Amino acid sequence: MIKQDDKPLRYNEVGNVHMDFHGAANTTIDFIIENYGVEIMDEIFTRVGQDVYADIRGHLIAGNAGELVKHWRHFFTREGSDYQIEIVDDEVVLTVKHCTAYHHVKKIAPQVSDHFCDQTIKTNNAMADGSPFEIKTEIIAPGACRQIIGRRK
Amino acid sequence: MIPSDHFTKFYNEVFKFLETQGDDALQAYWLEISRNQERHTLEPFREYGLEGMRDYWEHIRIEENCDLDLELHEDRLELRMNACPSLGKVMDNDAEPMARYCDHCAGWIGPIMDKLGYSLVYDVIDRQKPQCVMQVFKDPDQALEAEKNAKLLMGWPGKASNEPTPDDLKVKKS
Repeated sequence: MIKQDDKPLRYNEVGNVHMDFHGAANTTIDFIIENYGVEIMDEIFTRVGQDVYADIRGHLIAGNAGELVKHWRHFFTREGSDYQIEIVDDEVVLTVKHCTAYHHVKKIAPQVSDHFCDQTIKTNNAMADGSPFEIKTEIIAPGACRQIIGRRK
Repeated sequence: MIPSDHFTKFYNEVFKFLETQGDDALQAYWLEISRNQERHTLEPFREYGLEGMRDYWEHIRIEENCDLDLELHEDRLELRMNACPSLGKVMDNDAEPMARYCDHCAGWIGPIMDKLGYSLVYDVIDRQKPQCVMQVFKDPDQALEAEKNAKLLMGWPGKASNEPTPDDLKVKKS
């Protein structure tokens, strides 16, 4: 399920982080849903999951969830989130206790979109589509979630 | 979470969808982004003028890891983007870049400058290269002069670019 390697991620940013982009994402989500509907927003997230993250998806299709785990570690660490990843039997569980993306938007925007976390849910679904895995994303509190990679039944 | 590092790749997907809906759809979105950006630019730009703008883009230079030069003059602010990480990331992408990706910058900055009474001249130079020159003038006549030197002058909602419009490209019936 997890094949470790030393290769860098397909997108492996370093340097400073511009958290205000999450505010622009929040505005975008509300704009698209208000003008075109939630289905169109979901389609755009699907494009992100399948086309932008084609490399992670390719690894998932090949039966390796390791690249997604590497991606999680890299970017949740870069953004200073409080998270942990546990690998137990045939499941990988990412618990995000304090999502800095959500909390940054809460600080800078009038309100966090009701659909803000769809970016995680829908992108995860799209990456896992056609692979032996499914990714369940549970929102456990505002700005906190659990993402579970497991074998598709 | 789509990491903030990958926002531009998400942005690119949004642009591609909106392009299918027509130019008005893209312009409406840029205006929405512009309103979002007003929250942290309008007051400092109004209060501190060109210096406030210089400070904002200096902050962007650092946070977004840009290779850019900023020159503050008495009459204008000039920003030379030598290596734009936004377009750079969109080009280093497994998804197809949107051909007019660069247009969004003038698309959100222009309406703010219009609102504040400054004149923006945004030369993208070449949409395939991650570099551009942005100038903000106090004097609209100076801006009009500067526009003459632009290779690919950007427009924004309320201002036309120097590119031929699709209608201009149509064969006209005699």
